[in-house]
Amino acid sequence: MSEATPTSTAAPDRAAKLPAQSPPVDPAETAAAADHAVSGGRLSWWRGEGGEGAKRNLGLIAVLVALVVIGALTRPDLYSNADWVWANTLTILKLASVVGVVTVGMTFVIIGGGIDLSVGAIVALAGVWATTVATQSYGAGGMIFCALTVGLGVGLVNGLLISYGRLVPFIATLAMLVAARGLAAELSDKQTQVSNNTTINDIASTNLLGIPLLVYILAAVVIAGWVLLNRTTFGRRTVAVGGNPEAARLAGINVKRHTVMLYALSGLCCGIAAIMLTAQATSAQAAMANLYELDAIAAAIIGGTLLSGGRGTIIGSLLGVIIFSTITNLFAINGLTSEAQNMVKGGIIVAAVLVQQVQFRSLTQFLGRNRLTTT
Amino acid sequence: MVSEPGTDAADGVPESATVDAPLVEAPADAVAGEVVLRLTDVVKTFPGVRALDGVQLEVRAGEVHCLLGQNGAGKSTLIKVLSGVHQPDSGQIEWRGEPAAFTNPQAAMRAGIATIYQELDLVEDLSVAENAFLGHEPRQLGFVRRGQMARRTRQILGRLGHGEIPPNRMVRSLPAAGKQVVSMARALSHEARLIIMDEPSAVLAHDEVGNLFRIIRELTAQGIAVIYISHRLEEIREIGDRVTVLKDGRTTAANLPARDTPTRDLVSRMTGRTIEYVFPDRPADAEPAGGDLLEVEGLTRAGEFADVSLRVRPGEIVGIAGLVGSGRSELLETIYGARRPEAGTVRMAGRQLRPGSVGAAVRAGMGMAPEERKSQALLLGEPIYRNVTLATFGRYARGGFTDAGRERAAADQIADSLELRPRDVRRPVRTLSGGNQQKVVVGRWLLGDTKLLLLDEPTRGVDVGARAELYQVIRSLAERGVGVLLVSSEVPEVLGLADRVLVMREGRVVREAPAGELDENTVLDLVMAGSLMEGAPA
Amino acid sequence: MTQNSRDLSRRRLLFGGAAVGAGVLLAGCTSNETEPTAAQTKGADAAASGNAAPGQKVVIGFSAPAADHGWLAAITTNAKAQAAAYSDVEFKTVEAGADAAAQRAALSTLISQKPNVIVMLPHDGKELNAAGLEAMKAGIPVVNLDRAFPDALAYRLQIKGDNYGMGVAAANYIVAQLKAKGVSNPVIGEIPGIDSLELTQERSKGFADTLAQNGLRVSNRRPAEFTADSGQQAATGLLQALPKIDAIWNHDDDQGIGVLAAINQANRKEFFMVGGAGSKKAMEDIQADNTVLKATVTYSPSMASSAISLARLIGQGKGMSDLVELQVPKEIILASETITKENASNYLKLGF
Repeated sequence: MSEATPTSTAAPDRAAKLPAQSPPVDPAETAAAADHAVSGGRLSWWRGEGGEGAKRNLGLIAVLVALVVIGALTRPDLYSNADWVWANTLTILKLASVVGVVTVGMTFVIIGGGIDLSVGAIVALAGVWATTVATQSYGAGGMIFCALTVGLGVGLVNGLLISYGRLVPFIATLAMLVAARGLAAELSDKQTQVSNNTTINDIASTNLLGIPLLVYILAAVVIAGWVLLNRTTFGRRTVAVGGNPEAARLAGINVKRHTVMLYALSGLCCGIAAIMLTAQATSAQAAMANLYELDAIAAAIIGGTLLSGGRGTIIGSLLGVIIFSTITNLFAINGLTSEAQNMVKGGIIVAAVLVQQVQFRSLTQFLGRNRLTTT
Repeated sequence: MVSEPGTDAADGVPESATVDAPLVEAPADAVAGEVVLRLTDVVKTFPGVRALDGVQLEVRAGEVHCLLGQNGAGKSTLIKVLSGVHQPDSGQIEWRGEPAAFTNPQAAMRAGIATIYQELDLVEDLSVAENAFLGHEPRQLGFVRRGQMARRTRQILGRLGHGEIPPNRMVRSLPAAGKQVVSMARALSHEARLIIMDEPSAVLAHDEVGNLFRIIRELTAQGIAVIYISHRLEEIREIGDRVTVLKDGRTTAANLPARDTPTRDLVSRMTGRTIEYVFPDRPADAEPAGGDLLEVEGLTRAGEFADVSLRVRPGEIVGIAGLVGSGRSELLETIYGARRPEAGTVRMAGRQLRPGSVGAAVRAGMGMAPEERKSQALLLGEPIYRNVTLATFGRYARGGFTDAGRERAAADQIADSLELRPRDVRRPVRTLSGGNQQKVVVGRWLLGDTKLLLLDEPTRGVDVGARAELYQVIRSLAERGVGVLLVSSEVPEVLGLADRVLVMREGRVVREAPAGELDENTVLDLVMAGSLMEGAPA
Repeated sequence: MTQNSRDLSRRRLLFGGAAVGAGVLLAGCTSNETEPTAAQTKGADAAASGNAAPGQKVVIGFSAPAADHGWLAAITTNAKAQAAAYSDVEFKTVEAGADAAAQRAALSTLISQKPNVIVMLPHDGKELNAAGLEAMKAGIPVVNLDRAFPDALAYRLQIKGDNYGMGVAAANYIVAQLKAKGVSNPVIGEIPGIDSLELTQERSKGFADTLAQNGLRVSNRRPAEFTADSGQQAATGLLQALPKIDAIWNHDDDQGIGVLAAINQANRKEFFMVGGAGSKKAMEDIQADNTVLKATVTYSPSMASSAISLARLIGQGKGMSDLVELQVPKEIILASETITKENASNYLKLGF
């Protein structure tokens, strides 16, 4: 039996050994660490989103600026008119608003380690449900309540299937995609349902202080999403559940309940989006919001959200959506075909992910090396 | 020589004496075959760890050469070096009389070294023949010659004495023993001259082991050499020809006769100290006050552990010793609510806990540092402080809004008291060394009002300096009245740290005693005893 | 703890109550009773000759894609209503499912039931050509609705709208209007439906060809997807690209709901718009003359009603009574008509 050695003798011994111990890290990590060590003293306000995320977002803003420059070079006649440029910016934001709201919910789901393929279908179902003759008879309040409740309810079902039914998120939400569109077609009898409610329709045409109401709604959802993700226990649980579900569970976090809440949140965002889209089109139908799930996932990913969960930023996702709607706008003002537009979009997704991987790794390595050699 | 490490240290005899002593050589006529493999002074280091620190090994054709060593002795690394997964930093590998370097697993396989891992690397949804010839299917013009493949598989299975397994059967449908035979068939399909078997009996039922031995004898009769790794001494006695013992990455004894070497000798060569563990003093009043904090009654999960009852008092450190697979980690996770028991109860401070609910256990004051730090406990990309507050960030929050400042302040305190290095709690936890990561996991439970801490292999992958610090942290927790339930496969750790020790084997507690009444050899005998020693000292 | 759990259970109860309440409320909101649009039928009495008189019993099998669009929904409604108008017609309908493969499967089931005539609107004429051949080989005459089979042996009768003609009609109307206003160098926008469909390409070609004959061209073209929300987005892009527009042709009145919404939201009214297909709402808007929509060119789902009438005649071996021939002709192409404020009232009953 080994005798317990007095602790007093242990201390100098330990100190002597310490310098020799080299933590097992790869060069990138060392570089990142050096980077952190240097910037550690002066942390900025955006620190909550993570320094890496902020750098990534700067990259996205650069892409956005490049797109605007391309627009200005190809249509100088339009871009020379300041009023038009302002109006066009608002148009881009309006175009981004519906997908943007959906993407905020999607970002939460993906950070939480899941995926929601049913968002487009939920938007359609909520929109159709809110524009049935019976719902319209309750007025704007009834329609909004209906869309939000349907979105929340469908999201809740997604979450329960995944958490307690133990379905893979991909399968559960794929099934919901099909089922919700089916139900929407059933409710609408496959017809386009016109919204006769002027309050609802006005949501899309009202401007406050020269800025469309839709843009305010997008801003409100983005800000709420940012606060929720970065400043609340809900957000912290989301990152934990997505980053390492086992660690979260063993730390006493109720992973299943939280997963349900994430899908419900995504559904709620779809409900909000349904009202916005219905207002824009002054109607709803089962085929609306076609393929929004892909737009939302793509935007989240080019915004830096890790598809395997645990990392992502709301601002990045927002920038992703705005980049996509800027591309659409760029192609529209140049009168180019939508085929070319889709190819460019696909290219942008791949390029954004590649650039982020290469650029930030080599950048941090470069910085790290420089600092290591100069100090 | 039956050495007691502590005594040695007290006598001032350097422990390395055992290592430097001339290797015990078996009589030359013990095995007739020529030497196929010879390792001389093989060294392999990983950052922070010297996994192999001068290994000698000599394997002859037609022999079963057993490798013996505790967890972490370097057996796995040695296998990986032989099978081409890792390349040694220095030292010589001589293969069939010529120096060899296996730069990748394929090269080792081509040379004739096949490895059968514990978790068999078969493709479940391919047939027996397809698995046997995976990656080197007989082919013509790019088409697999299925007929020839099936015929050759049948031949090989026949050589293994298992001609009854149809080559076109899906591997998924075979029992574990059958899958093992397929793994061996794969080895033979490569014309292997040396087959390394990593704990092959671990996946087998008791009566299947005899069959395995019969196959091994068939192989050796054909002149194939086998390196056999097992924890079970009685197996080594039955099948082995010679034994090489590893400890802390070194060969401490080579080529002992497998049948005649006394158990005590083998055990002492496995355990002889070179690293000095530094354990804090036990408090003088060894008897902790107060009633039971944790009461576990008749806890059972089929296939993992059965009818386990234990108690932990406030301020007491209870250690569980046992090998991997003895059910100790599963037991800990079940107490914690991460697994649902089939029978039995868990009580904290007299109140019964809802089974299968981690939340209930945490609310009752339990905390756990799980076995796999990276996959079970940490958010590697997140800052240290967020990992420290992972279980408690809700308490620092106001109305659902987190308070990063208060969290960082709390984490700073923990970092100070645990001497966390580097000290900046905003760094990602991934940049920390293993020992410091473990401090983060333990520190997590210092923040809440944790009454009972469950530690599963707390020092795995932790270097020596940080180990001593962790031991002190654990002891000081106990002094503050926290109960600790500790699982470790390192027997000295359990004996040095715990007040009371439970020994587990094959899912059952086979011995419970105050740490002072047990020594390392007794415990090792208990955990390694096979059926021959069943029901011995209790 | 007990206090806690009581709170918890009360919370659950409240939540459960709210959920049930919301569910009940929502279920009530699914009701969708609108004034049904009258189907476009022609009663048995309206026919001049003896063709209308009940004759030999005819079983007509019908297959059209699941409607995701008002036009397609009208096709099915019309066919059903027309069949119901005849006492000697038994109408068997099979849903065509989501794609060509599903429709092929549905058709083989239908063929095995041996109806006298099959009326089908294929997902894609080329992909279902074989199904048409199969039915014809089995001795069942096939009436192809709208989407043509390339193989003439695959159908007995083809009745379809004129996609190219729609473009021609829309362009002619726009050219005439612009000439009347004396606009030189006009800016013309186009919002087609799904661009990869042949019908869209034919419509656009007819439009572009006719404009070119008059020395004009399309300035910008933003495709939508036959849905209102996609129409809104396409129109928003178009309006942004063209600060001043003289005329727009929107291929489809259903997506036109969104196009009109976008135009209102952008507060633009310096141009006029022509629609396509001829929905009831579009006709009403044209009649009311309070939007930029001044005309629409038809592609009428009434062809389904005609197809059923002709299928009945084929089944009974009769010809069209106004024609000299003793059998129904092999091909009928509907003319695309232009609906304006002046004639809208005549067409309103044909709107869907």
